[in-house]
Amino acid sequence: MLKLHNLSKVYQTDEVETVALDNVNIEIESGEFVAIMGPSGCGKSTLLNIVGMLDSPSSGDYIFMDENVAGYPESKLSNIRKQNIGFIFQSFNLIDELTVEENIELALLYHNIPASERRERVARVMDKVGIAHRAKHMPSQLSGGQQQRVAVARAVVGDQAMILADEPTGNLDSAHGQEVMEMLQSLNAEGTTIVMVTHSPAHADYARRTINLFDGHVVTENLRAAV
Amino acid sequence: MFQNYIQVAFRNILANKLYSAINIIGLAIGLTACVLIMLFVRDELSFDRFWAKSDAIYRLHTTFNVPGRQPFITSSAQGPARQALLNYFPQEIEQATRFAQFQPVVEYQDKVFYERVHWADREAVEIFDLTVVEGDIQAAMQDNSSIAINQSFAHKYFGDRPALGEVVSMTTFDLVRDYKVAAIFEDLPHNTVLDFQALTVIDESDFTSQPAVFTEWFSLNNWLFFTLRDGASITTIDSQLPAFADASIIVPGAFQEGTTASDFVTYSTMKLQDLQLNAPGGREMKPTGDTQTVTIFSAIAALVLLIACINFTNLATAKSTQRAREVALRKVLGARRQQLVQQFIGESVVVALLALFLAVVLVELLLPSYGAFLGRDLSFDYSGGFGLGLLAGLVLVVGIVGGLYPAVLLSGFRPARVLKANRSAESAGSIRLRAGLVILQFTISIALIIATGVVFGQMVFAAKRYPGFNKDNLIVVRNVSRQGVVEKQVALKEEILRLPGVVSAAYADDVPATSNESNSSVTIPGNPGLGDILIGRQIVDHDYFSTYEIPLITGRDYDRDYSGDGIPDFEGARPGEVLQGTLVVNQAALPRLGFASAKDAVGKRVQIQTGSPGSEPAFAQLEIIGVAANAHFRSLRSVVRPEMYYLLEGNFRNLTIRYTGNPAELVEQIESVWREHAPNVPFTFSFAEQDMARLYAQEHSLATMLGTFASLAILVACMGLYGLAAFTAERRTREIGIRKVMGARVMDIVRLLVWQFSKPVLLANLIAWPLAAWGMLNWLQAFPYRLDEWVLVPLCLIAGLIALAIAWFTVGGNAAKVARANPIKALRYE
Ligand SMILES: Nc1ncnc2c1ncn2[C@@H]1O[C@H](COP(=O)(O)OP(=O)(O)O)[C@@H](O)[C@H]1O
Ligand SMILES: [Mg+2]
Repeated sequence: MLKLHNLSKVYQTDEVETVALDNVNIEIESGEFVAIMGPSGCGKSTLLNIVGMLDSPSSGDYIFMDENVAGYPESKLSNIRKQNIGFIFQSFNLIDELTVEENIELALLYHNIPASERRERVARVMDKVGIAHRAKHMPSQLSGGQQQRVAVARAVVGDQAMILADEPTGNLDSAHGQEVMEMLQSLNAEGTTIVMVTHSPAHADYARRTINLFDGHVVTENLRAAV
Repeated sequence: MFQNYIQVAFRNILANKLYSAINIIGLAIGLTACVLIMLFVRDELSFDRFWAKSDAIYRLHTTFNVPGRQPFITSSAQGPARQALLNYFPQEIEQATRFAQFQPVVEYQDKVFYERVHWADREAVEIFDLTVVEGDIQAAMQDNSSIAINQSFAHKYFGDRPALGEVVSMTTFDLVRDYKVAAIFEDLPHNTVLDFQALTVIDESDFTSQPAVFTEWFSLNNWLFFTLRDGASITTIDSQLPAFADASIIVPGAFQEGTTASDFVTYSTMKLQDLQLNAPGGREMKPTGDTQTVTIFSAIAALVLLIACINFTNLATAKSTQRAREVALRKVLGARRQQLVQQFIGESVVVALLALFLAVVLVELLLPSYGAFLGRDLSFDYSGGFGLGLLAGLVLVVGIVGGLYPAVLLSGFRPARVLKANRSAESAGSIRLRAGLVILQFTISIALIIATGVVFGQMVFAAKRYPGFNKDNLIVVRNVSRQGVVEKQVALKEEILRLPGVVSAAYADDVPATSNESNSSVTIPGNPGLGDILIGRQIVDHDYFSTYEIPLITGRDYDRDYSGDGIPDFEGARPGEVLQGTLVVNQAALPRLGFASAKDAVGKRVQIQTGSPGSEPAFAQLEIIGVAANAHFRSLRSVVRPEMYYLLEGNFRNLTIRYTGNPAELVEQIESVWREHAPNVPFTFSFAEQDMARLYAQEHSLATMLGTFASLAILVACMGLYGLAAFTAERRTREIGIRKVMGARVMDIVRLLVWQFSKPVLLANLIAWPLAAWGMLNWLQAFPYRLDEWVLVPLCLIAGLIALAIAWFTVGGNAAKVARANPIKALRYE
């Protein structure tokens, strides 16, 4: 699916230069479920943002589906992104002024999909994550777990091949966290590639492989034998 | 506590530079507009309040009601009315004076000018306490060869030398006399309806050759002021005016039996102080103001200020979410809601005060040019009660109006919720209010643009409309009926015609842009059913139509080859005799005279009569030989008068000259011809085209004012919109980030934001269009000749597009910047 080769990311602020990623080499196969772990500030989010093409690397190569996208301009990245990648954030990042339905539809809005098909797909995915009865509600009227389910629905409604989740359970209690993990697991079972940042070893156990980051370096990669 | 508020206020102002700048500059513009307009309004309201007897002075107005004709409303009274009034109301009226304005030729050594001199009764200087600098003004008014002059007059003739006791010679009609300067008074201030350079006493025996001035009951040549006695009521007088008319006016025998004077003469009174704004619209000593202008300008001032206040409210509420934490903390620490309201209103007042300082600077910078534009010397007195009151009032109003709602809104935040959620979602009501206020701002702005467009359009329409004669290349030489010229009219014209560049020349009383009106009563022998018809008359010579290039629709012009053309000589006509003559009328006269068409009129006869009242008249039957096209000599506010053009020899008031080539040289040559013939009469002339343009000065200044203030309104509204857009974009960065992650392109985001701000502008159009259209259609009603009403459609569309374009321009740049930002920045920290 994707391959990072000697990839680095340096943040240049007024005085300090922060090396967030330092010569990272990672390969992720299609259909994999990968967890990324590591202490706060080690570069997990940076890694995910680059993988998600929300940000560009400072140096190195990023081969995504046989294409080196490292030097691509934003508009091109944006096109690849919206076809292939869905996002789930720790803080859900739903739009407060839109209903559940509209929030999910957002992921299709910029895809040139006719309204009727959009509605159909949104309905289908809401059923799938069990949020259909809340379709007309505003995010503020939902619990955290429900909000994250909406976010998951939004991430997959466009039939994305890969989902990037940055601490998806970070703002949830354990029961709701469990729920979300199970949802991700079943998506993975259907063939979706999942890359997830987490602090919870228990949640990392859902993944088939764990990448440990420390200070911008890949420290270990543990492959779990079997699930 | 208080100090803490002020500190927080200033810190907030500094911390939010964009918002503070928008608020302060916007308010300053609003306040400046307000102060400038209030100065004008106050000036208009200050007229004639400074006289010692202001409260007791009134003026008598006369309206002639001629059957079959619009009432002839004047601000004047007949010469005999003064004595009659004193006789009829001895209990109520203390003193009364006439003012009659003539323009004598004044000579002193080598100085010869026309001056506006007023003849008045000796009570004039008791009713109006002029400030006398030198001499005895009471004594001046006792003697018909004394004159009281103002300081400008004195300076003009005598320079720095003492004027008192000097003698000037004045020629007034046929009255030539030396006048001794017996008093000098200060120039009248601008805020009075009175306007004269010099005063001398009316001695009716001086004007026996001009009976119309002081002795006839059917001429209106005087302004008549009177004072009420202590305790007398003007309503008593008003109620008895019809009886006064019947008792005083001698009805000539020619009028029908059974009619009384009050049937055709209506009197009314008006307090001196009300004249400036409410005078009925007759002749005045100088142009007066009107309530419509004052109302329009006051409304505009209020609107611009309102727009600025709305900015204030909008930005404050929009920003309120950011301050929610401060409020919550203060509440947790024990602040009561009332204290918070006070704090926030205090902040608004601080901002308003800063705006005020800026406004005062702006007012001072703009006053000179503003005063020049209005033609008045205006100044702002900061120490006076009015100035301080106005400023303090404005700051309070603005601070409270702009600050009250945000204060109440902010102080109402619940600390628990705010602190827990760590950000407070704004209530839908507050967002809706803001949208409503933006709509209101743009409604006002768009309506002002439309109003400006209509006023300007009507002005251009009036200026461009062909007036029915060729107004270019016409010089009008005035005062040709003066003693010293009038005898030489024939020779003067002959010599001017010989000058190179002169195409033709014509004598006439009526010239462009004058309000000269004379009427005659005529009958149509072929149509006795019409009875007496009152219709306008102008006296012309043979070259009138050709010089003005007024085409004849049918028939022919007066022709020197027809010796019988024109009005026959009544000299020596026997009573009852019917003489024959010819007549040209204009198109507008046809319906009045009962003719269906111009063809129908030619060959028909119009009968006029002559003779003094009482004696049996002689008649003349005039065959209509031609019908002239309507020529518009006056502003398009008035319709073309039905007019008969009498071909008559003698005493014309003006000579009109059509020329080609360079007029400057020609004017010099004409002047030297004039000097040869009339060395003692000053030469005065004008260009017809400029005279006509001056008719639209009022519309011109209205359009300029409207345009200026409409621009200001839009500027302030857009500043607010910019602030809101900046704020909204800031507030929506997270949403924009999410949308970008979902695949939205920069254009999608820009469209989203721009559309958000287009909606209120579009809605504002829907409200402003009917409002402005209704108002401007009403305004246009005052013009018999006006813009096509359909012009409003493109005007409305253009105004809407202008507003929309400005809004897009304002919002678009910011939106693009926000849309281009990297989404992860917005999503990173929560
Ligand atoms: N936009 C940025 N500008 C400057 N430094 C940044 C930026 N984003 C992240 N960093 C820095 O890069 C490092 C890695 O950050 P991040 O990827 O967010 O860590 P994690 O998600 O593992 O907690 C941190 O030291 C952080 O301060
Ligand atoms: Mg992180």
